Amino acid sequence: MPVVDKLIVTNVAALKRKYGSKGYSRIKRAVTQLVAADKQRGVHTMFLALDSVSAMKKKHGVAVTDASGPRQYKEAIDAAHRTSTPDYLLILGATDVVPHQDLENPLYAPGDDDDKLAFSDLPYACEAAYSKRIADFRAPTRVVGRLPDKFADSDPSYLESLLATAAQFETAPRKSFDAYFGITAEVWKSSTALSLSNTFGSNLELQSVPPKDSRWPVGLLRSRMHFINCHGAPADPKFYGQRGGNFPVAHDAAYLASRIKPGTILSAECCYGAELYDPTLAEGQAGICNTYLGAGGYGVFASSTIAYGPSAGNAQADVICQFFLQRVLLGASLGRAALEARQQFVAESGTLDPTELKTLAQFHLLGDPAVHAVTIEQPALMATKAFRAAMPDREGAARAGRSLRRRQLAKAGLALEQTVGAARRVSETKPSKKVRGALERAARETGVRPKHWVSFTVDDQAPRCFAAQRSRDRVQPRSRWQSVRSECWPRRREKCAASAGSLRRTVQPCCARRSCSRPRFKRARSCN
Amino acid sequence: MELRGKVVRKPAGSGSKSARAAVVLVTDDAEYVLRRTGGNAFSDPELEALVGSNIRATGTLHGYTFLLQSWVRE
Repeated sequence: MPVVDKLIVTNVAALKRKYGSKGYSRIKRAVTQLVAADKQRGVHTMFLALDSVSAMKKKHGVAVTDASGPRQYKEAIDAAHRTSTPDYLLILGATDVVPHQDLENPLYAPGDDDDKLAFSDLPYACEAAYSKRIADFRAPTRVVGRLPDKFADSDPSYLESLLATAAQFETAPRKSFDAYFGITAEVWKSSTALSLSNTFGSNLELQSVPPKDSRWPVGLLRSRMHFINCHGAPADPKFYGQRGGNFPVAHDAAYLASRIKPGTILSAECCYGAELYDPTLAEGQAGICNTYLGAGGYGVFASSTIAYGPSAGNAQADVICQFFLQRVLLGASLGRAALEARQQFVAESGTLDPTELKTLAQFHLLGDPAVHAVTIEQPALMATKAFRAAMPDREGAARAGRSLRRRQLAKAGLALEQTVGAARRVSETKPSKKVRGALERAARETGVRPKHWVSFTVDDQAPRCFAAQRSRDRVQPRSRWQSVRSECWPRRREKCAASAGSLRRTVQPCCARRSCSRPRFKRARSCN
Repeated sequence: MELRGKVVRKPAGSGSKSARAAVVLVTDDAEYVLRRTGGNAFSDPELEALVGSNIRATGTLHGYTFLLQSWVRE
């Protein structure tokens, strides 16, 4: 079985439908160049057509036949991943080529959260079988990214450029990423400031909208790390700031197209920041995520649907977006950064509430997961002649290191399934008067008028796991007295019973034997 | 696609990052958040001016959002 470090999956028939045979040939050439570039870097890349019967048979899977069936794609990708065990999984194409998975939004309530589904690539990153429940995918283990063309596009140039960016990426020293570009809606300034401090060590460069607007100076846009916490909307190429009832434009794809520096990485908390919509819905203007990638950006970590996050403090979208950039800055590949961000988000939640479930599902990586933006400083030992002589196969050593990391991430991911609970919507349970009263008071205080009441129960395996562990570990670390007591006690009772009326005995039965290593008691104890 | 109904202002996205007072078209069958193609998704004076009116609207439906291309007051 040939080594597969990176697996590129797509639906070739869907690409041909969009671009024709000639257009697809151009894309295939660009993929071949990416494969060659990866090989130069010591990464063996394989291209897999999910709709090819013969190719999928080799992966012990079934070829996809329905261009819009999420289950088929999940099962095909699972089969391919299990057989090839790649370190990186790259999904090639927008959602009209390889669809998102259709996860049910636990917060769906018409007029409040209108997203019936939380469209997601999260299930492709998990071993769990196809499901529409987000909670079933709380244990991500795979490094996954999507390189999206434009929805309903017919010109292959855009996808060619994205593949070229992935082939030609370069790592840069950590200090190249010290400068950041951070935008916030003014109402969320406090929360975004905290996010920037946590990620970059400073929030002095935070840009607030208002008073600023979307006409950003090129000098600011040239920073390679972008963090945005603004409003977004479906099929909208803009993000918006807010002060009171005023929502000025904060970021505009049409303005950005020629101003984003190649190699930029965007982490955006905004609603619909990663939505891959048909540009014809927005007068031909593709979304901000497509624009960043088209300008040579390395990756976008953003949300497919309505996102959640507080106006002060950090939670939900703030947290997962920070985690992603923090990992990138530590030298992780974009895909590993996304996986570690997901795992850390789940681990720190303890029990995933409904907003956290939706956050976990909706944020994903757009970009080649194998791209490393930040150079990892190698330990001094690795620069020595002795080390190089001992490890002449640099490619093999790198693969071994990566494999170790993947195993560790897989173990961490699988542990989450056992230890992290999740909320589950229940329709038959109504809140008690006391609970309802408390929530209504809290809503009034924060100026929210509740329209819907939704109840959740919590599914948590952790208590059962702890109970099982305790029953396995009945012999707990004991004091020496406790050890002796448990072994000698039955004999003492026998001797006490045999000597009726006698309350004081010298405890010696087993301890008197020379072979016994238990301490001998010097004083008699009562039979009680 | 054509829809007919009354334009109202309603809170939408409560508790989320999309929380705002949205301009909504209430039809016989459903409610849709209105947005002019190319307009501000969160604050559009032209749509605000329609609040309280009955309209016949032409546009494209995208999920729960109706992207308005043209409309006529009825």
